[in-house]
Amino acid sequence: DGVAILPAPQNLSVQSTNMKHLLTWSPVMVPGEIIYYFVEYQGEYESLYMSHVWIPSSWCSPTKGPECDITDDITATVPYNLRVRATQGSETSAWSTLKPPFNRNSTILTPPGMDVTKDGFHLVIKLEDLGSQFEFLVAYWRREPGAKEHVKVVRSRGIPVHLETMEPGAAYCVKVQTFVKAIGRHSPFSQAECVKVQGETLPL
Amino acid sequence: QEFQFGPCRVEGVVLQELWEAFWAMKDIVQAKDNITNVRLLRKEVLQNVSNAESCYLIRALLKFYLNTVFKNYQDKAADFRVRKSFSTLANNFVVIVSKLQPSQENEMFSVSDSARRRFLLFQRAFKQLDIEAAQTKAFGEVDILLTWMEKFYQL
Repeated sequence: DGVAILPAPQNLSVQSTNMKHLLTWSPVMVPGEIIYYFVEYQGEYESLYMSHVWIPSSWCSPTKGPECDITDDITATVPYNLRVRATQGSETSAWSTLKPPFNRNSTILTPPGMDVTKDGFHLVIKLEDLGSQFEFLVAYWRREPGAKEHVKVVRSRGIPVHLETMEPGAAYCVKVQTFVKAIGRHSPFSQAECVKVQGETLPL
Repeated sequence: QEFQFGPCRVEGVVLQELWEAFWAMKDIVQAKDNITNVRLLRKEVLQNVSNAESCYLIRALLKFYLNTVFKNYQDKAADFRVRKSFSTLANNFVVIVSKLQPSQENEMFSVSDSARRRFLLFQRAFKQLDIEAAQTKAFGEVDILLTWMEKFYQL
C-alpha cells in the first residue's frame, strides 16, 4: 500500500429509499488532481467468519464521484460494513468505514405511484415498477356509506391490473401500499384516488 | 414468502435469490469436485424428514456449512463474481440460522435425536474425505440442499 498522505474520505452515510441504497461521502479535494475512490463491503458472514475479507463494490471500485450505488451489493438482510478510500496516482488514503453498519431493513418505504383509470365499466390500476422485491397491497371500495373494502395483492409490475367492474353512476376509490418480502415491512398507504362512472346503463 | 421448518418460521429470505447466487458459482464449484462416486447429502439424510425434525436438521446443516464448508472459501474465490455470489449465499444462511429457534423441551428429544442422527450421517461422510475435497463436494451439493429447503418454502 502507498503511504497514507491523501486524507481519507469523511462523513460516510447511506441514503436508502425503496430498497435503493446510495453510499455518499465528502469528496477529498486536491487542487488540480483527479481523485478516484474504492468502495468495499462485507456482510455479517464475512465480519463473523473471515473479518479480513472485503469485497469490492460492484460499481465503485473505482469511481470518481463521492457516491456509490450499493444496491446490488446488499443482498441479505444483515448488517453490512462499508468502507471507502481515495487514491490519486500511486497515493492511497486510509480506509474510512461507515459507522454504524448498514442494514437494508432500515430503508425508507414510500407509498408507490399509481394510475387509476376506467376502461369502460372496468376499474383498472397501473402501479409503479419498483423492482422484483416489491409486492403491492391494493385496497378499493365503492364510495358510499358502509361500503366494504376489498383487498388485492398484486405482484405484477408496471402493467394494468383489473380491480372491479363498476356500477353506472357509482364512484370507486383506491389506495395502495407496498410490501417488501426481504425485510418484512410495508410502506404507508398512498392517498386514495377516486373515479366515477357516468350514469349510462350497463350494455346487455 | 417464507420458510416454515415445522414450528420454525423464517422471513426475510427470498429463495430465488439463493438459487441465483448458487447458479452463478455452480459450474466453477462443481467442476472442482473430482470424487464423483460419493454423495454427502444422500437420501438417508434428507428423505422423509418430518416437519418437526426439519428445524433441527436445517439448523445443524446450515451451521456446519457456515462454520466448516464455507471456511476460507472467500480466500480461494479469486473470481469477483463468485465472491459476490458466495457472499449473498453465506449471508442469507446467516439470516436463516439466526431465526431458527427449535424447541429444547424434553418431549421433543426423540425428534431432535432423529434429526441429529441424520446430520451425523452427513458429517461422517464429510469427515471421511480430505478436508478440501469434502468442502468442495459439500459446496457443490448446495443445490441438493436448496431443493430440499424449497419443500418448506411457502409463496
